[in-house]
Amino acid sequence: MNTTTYSTATPKLGAWVWLLCWTSALVYLPTLLTERALFGMALSNTQLLNLGLTQINLMLISMLGALSLNYLTGCAGLISIGHAAFFATGAMAAAVFDTQLGWPFPCVLLACAVAGALVGTLAGLPSLRVRGLYFVLSTLAVHYVVTYVFLEYQFKFFDVVGIPYATPRIGDIEINTPVRWYAFLLPLVILVYLGLKASLQSREGLAMRAMRDHELAATSVGVDVRILRLKAFGLSSAIASVAGALFAYYLSNITSEAFNINFAIQFIAMIIIGGMGSLPGSLVGAAIWLLLPSIIAGLSPQSSEDAGFMGKLLVEHRAQLVQLIFSVMVIVFLIFAPSGVAGLGRSLKNRLDAWRQGL
Amino acid sequence: MFEQVFFSGLALGSIYGLVALGFTVIFKATDVFNFAQGMFVVCGAYLAVTAISILQLPFALAIVFIVVASALLGVLIHMTLIQPLLGRPMLSVIMLTIALSIALRALIEIMFGPQGRSLTTPLPTGVLMLGSVRISYLHLTAALVSWACMAGFGLFFRFTSVGLLMRASADSHEAAVVSGVNVNTMNRLAWAIGSTLAAVGGLFLGQLQIASTELEGIGLLALPAVVIGGMQSIPGAIVGGLLVGIIEQMAATYISPKSSDIVIYVLLLLILMVRPWGLFGQRELGRV
Repeated sequence: MNTTTYSTATPKLGAWVWLLCWTSALVYLPTLLTERALFGMALSNTQLLNLGLTQINLMLISMLGALSLNYLTGCAGLISIGHAAFFATGAMAAAVFDTQLGWPFPCVLLACAVAGALVGTLAGLPSLRVRGLYFVLSTLAVHYVVTYVFLEYQFKFFDVVGIPYATPRIGDIEINTPVRWYAFLLPLVILVYLGLKASLQSREGLAMRAMRDHELAATSVGVDVRILRLKAFGLSSAIASVAGALFAYYLSNITSEAFNINFAIQFIAMIIIGGMGSLPGSLVGAAIWLLLPSIIAGLSPQSSEDAGFMGKLLVEHRAQLVQLIFSVMVIVFLIFAPSGVAGLGRSLKNRLDAWRQGL
Repeated sequence: MFEQVFFSGLALGSIYGLVALGFTVIFKATDVFNFAQGMFVVCGAYLAVTAISILQLPFALAIVFIVVASALLGVLIHMTLIQPLLGRPMLSVIMLTIALSIALRALIEIMFGPQGRSLTTPLPTGVLMLGSVRISYLHLTAALVSWACMAGFGLFFRFTSVGLLMRASADSHEAAVVSGVNVNTMNRLAWAIGSTLAAVGGLFLGQLQIASTELEGIGLLALPAVVIGGMQSIPGAIVGGLLVGIIEQMAATYISPKSSDIVIYVLLLLILMVRPWGLFGQRELGRV
């Protein structure tokens, strides 16, 4: 199969400069957020948009989830509204292998990935028989089944308080501070991103996108759609499962309520805002979804003093206001920019290129 | 004991059937799988709170208020949100209805506060003894009204000219357009009917329990009801609703209260594996 369309050109000088800028920015970010100063110049909470490293870390974990869902839904065309189930699987596997059996952390993560892949392949089985809407509903049913198992498991071995998780350690290093978490999560996200990108450019990735765009056409050129579906499901849920385990570790205690249907819905919202089928888009979507609430929360202390209508709203109904803003944002994106931030970026770039050529 | 559980399941199931019927009407007409149907139930409950507790309208007027307001809500949603998404992929439309339900929930919680409100209507309360079975009048009224609504809409679709036009435009948009049917108006009507049926369900559920945004979960049980019955089938929606109500009550009594949802969703999964088109639906055939 001809892959020239997707082959990467040799990076130019500009690309290297960009890479350098991004790397230094990402390395400097934890220092900026812990010392709350930019090159020795102190910044107020407002100037930092009320952000801390904790939000950044949770954002990185969500990025894993958004990437895996976008791989499945945007690239393979399989809609899952039960993605929280795989997060729950990961959290459950981590509880079994770490809290109960005491395996070392890297082995636990590996076991979580395997468990996630298994559950994901099982959850993908209905895709062999049903299509479209019916399949969406089967993922919803899977979600209810898995969260019920999680609930039963939690109450059998732990109690209503939730499942506790030990501080993860790799070798002698305990991952116990936000900075260490950042140092662990950032390379992981980059790794997963590059891995998924490579997988999309491989022969199977192309076959997968062909399957998404036209299933019958893909079948007729010899793509085994059924196996490919299960593979996509397995890979996506393995990643989601690891993300779920990390989420549980990061919070150090988790109950079955954490993985409700809204948890799954937020990932769909992320990839809609970011851009369906675009891996960088998933990162942007996750960033917007996780950082915006604390930015909105950061607005409230100033506005409560003049206590206007908006100020009162911010103080009394902050949670609802965040929900409202997000849902309206999703609706606006769906109606006016169906390809998300990634699509907006593309059209902007096209316009820029056209303008440059006009010069 | 068994009869008791059966009858309360039947009463709840009638309400689910009503909500599911509204869902099916919307789905048949516009192909929109409406996840906001549960929120329409909540809207109905809060419209009842507004009309009865806040505006203190007489009951008959309150019912007119609820029906008109919920129908307007359905039409408004179709005009502003559903129509612009015509012809978009399924996930966009699904996500739109999910986002809509989140937005409605947030709005309701901002306007009425996050706690539930109790809802009292002049509907008869008290208990009717039938042998050893206790049936509350409220359950009975809910079931009867639901059955009346279902029968009414069944007759409406079967025997009136507007019903015929609606069925025609649901069957084939193109053919209906060519024959001079205003499909948009028909679709709007379908949304109005769908949201009104849900609102009537909400009126009863709000009184049986309490008017709060938690009613959404109950309203969402209409989804498995619809799939079990068969998505394109109106009798299927009603039977599915009744089945879900009865199974839910049985599971809650004989297995455990926590297990009622899971039993329904496992059943849904089994139906999807064995007979995806549901009990009453028509098998969809793929053509190349």
